[in-house]
Amino acid sequence: MPPIPNLTAADFLPLWPAVVLSLAGMVLLLSEVFLKATEREGESVRTYQAVFTVGAAVLAGGLALSLTFEPARAVFLAFAVLDPFSSFITAVACLGLALTALLSDGFLRQRQAERGEFYALLLFATAGMSLLALSNELIMLFVSLEVMSISTYALAAYLRRGPRPTEAGFKYFILGAFSSALFLYGAALLYSASGTTHLAGLASELGRIFADPSSDRRLVVYCGMALVAAGLAFKVAAVPFHMWAPDVYEGAPTPVTALMSVGVKAASFAALVRVFLAIGRHVEPQVPVLLFSTLAILTMVLGNLLALPQRNVKRMLAYSSISHAGYLLVGVTALFVPQARAGLPGVTVLAAGTRADQADALRAILFYLLTYTVTAVGAFGVVGALERREDETRGFGWDVDRFSGLAQRRPGWAVAMAAFMLSLGGIPPLAGFMGKLLVFRAAVDSGLLMLVVVGVLTSAVGAYYYLRVVVYMFMRPPPEQATLAPHQWGTEVALAVTAAAVVLLGVAPGLVTRWLGPAGHLFGQ
Amino acid sequence: MTSSPAASYLPIAVVLLLAVAMGAIVSSLSSLFGPKNPNPVKSTIFEAGSEPAPGTARQRFAVKFYVVALLFIVFDVETVFLYPWAVNFRALGWFGYAEMFVFAATLVVGLVYVWKKGALSWET
Repeated sequence: MPPIPNLTAADFLPLWPAVVLSLAGMVLLLSEVFLKATEREGESVRTYQAVFTVGAAVLAGGLALSLTFEPARAVFLAFAVLDPFSSFITAVACLGLALTALLSDGFLRQRQAERGEFYALLLFATAGMSLLALSNELIMLFVSLEVMSISTYALAAYLRRGPRPTEAGFKYFILGAFSSALFLYGAALLYSASGTTHLAGLASELGRIFADPSSDRRLVVYCGMALVAAGLAFKVAAVPFHMWAPDVYEGAPTPVTALMSVGVKAASFAALVRVFLAIGRHVEPQVPVLLFSTLAILTMVLGNLLALPQRNVKRMLAYSSISHAGYLLVGVTALFVPQARAGLPGVTVLAAGTRADQADALRAILFYLLTYTVTAVGAFGVVGALERREDETRGFGWDVDRFSGLAQRRPGWAVAMAAFMLSLGGIPPLAGFMGKLLVFRAAVDSGLLMLVVVGVLTSAVGAYYYLRVVVYMFMRPPPEQATLAPHQWGTEVALAVTAAAVVLLGVAPGLVTRWLGPAGHLFGQ
Repeated sequence: MTSSPAASYLPIAVVLLLAVAMGAIVSSLSSLFGPKNPNPVKSTIFEAGSEPAPGTARQRFAVKFYVVALLFIVFDVETVFLYPWAVNFRALGWFGYAEMFVFAATLVVGLVYVWKKGALSWET
């Protein structure tokens, strides 16, 4: 056997976005230490880092989009795949990165914390997300997960003075490491049952185990599956694995919170979908449906109910992020229903399930992730633009009072924030509505009526706390001596782009959905 | 190769027993026959680089220990990866050489970064 497998240049093709991002991160690290001479000469010296990051993100995202036209195939001995699904996830992560970098410029400048390391960590985290989206093997998946997570642990504690960032970094690290361990334990159990860590091999081996009624390895498979699901549910902050999210989201620098709630979530959902489409289709068919519908209901109900009493807008958005993971989990559940028609409580059969349903559900998840990315980054952008450093340590930097009378002080921000809030609440004709519509339609087509009813009811609950921010902005008088941060070009550009995207995706979703066609099938599934 | 899964763990149980027995025998022998001249400094717990912690884990100590430990781990692991490559150098050929070059170059970037940051100078 030749020791070197036949790797061609085509094998490296799907890695290009990650390569661009990591190289850009290394360049920023080196520029940080070698360009010290110009350090404190002027206000605008450090802006090149944000611009450079945006450039790298746009380049990597463009590469990822062009990769969606490539035929789907396995690369690197099936350790990774090149398929439109993974390329779209990479593009969404790069979009989140570009917007985050734009927001970070002004945010960090106000706190005199502009450092190349910040942007380098953002870039490394996004490279990890890109790799996570295309991993097709449990160990590669784990390494990518860690590349992404370790960068975000450091970013969470980036503003290291004060108790809150320390708490955020510490909590995120401990619980993140714990969830990685759960994932790894689950992967080890799956390996012990099947003898392989490749998802494709795992799928066929599980098919053999479950076709044989006398097999004694089912329990091991289920334990492994549960642990892998728990590990990934931690990363997407699904109830009951959500406890870290509000504290970490609150303590992390606001642009980082934005990236955590969109990029990390998108990549983790990609991994969840890929792993569970491989293993969930060969176990007893009702198990993945019950697993994900339970998670989805808990996440939607608790995420929305816990957001209700929050006066702290940043914390409210954290719980909102949890509830949106719940809506996405409805889409994930719909992936498994066609195999599990018979004998499921709460599943009403409307039409014969087909692979077309599954493709629709995958496209809906992708579209939802895109709409959530533009909306959440925009919302966190406004929150970050309004907060002031001296209030953060006292904990009321994000009180909803801060939004009082924003319509008179900064009409542009107020209108944009209103659009983000209504979009998060799922009110037509904004992006969030179209996202929810597609996900719920996929679920209805699969017969998951109960989940959709819960989803619609909890969305109605969500309207209360989203609209409260809008009421404060438009119907309360501005506070007496409130000072607002000066205009930052990066923030303004990011808010303009996200607000435009929120409207555009809601009015003309066809612009994106027609591109999503081939992304409805994962390679080899 | 035994078929029963429990029986296949037997060698591990034997090794465990042997290890415990060895430790027990050696330490009881030395406590029986060894000379004993204790003094307060000798009796304290040995901890490299800091005062032995008297009960509290919240004692602060210099962050430079972390930096050195992290750097040590990074280059230690690099060696772990370099050894198998060096053993198979001929078989892996230019492809392996290029891959290891990329790997080492990435670490060099990190080394240059920490060097210029001043993490390698102990006295600052």
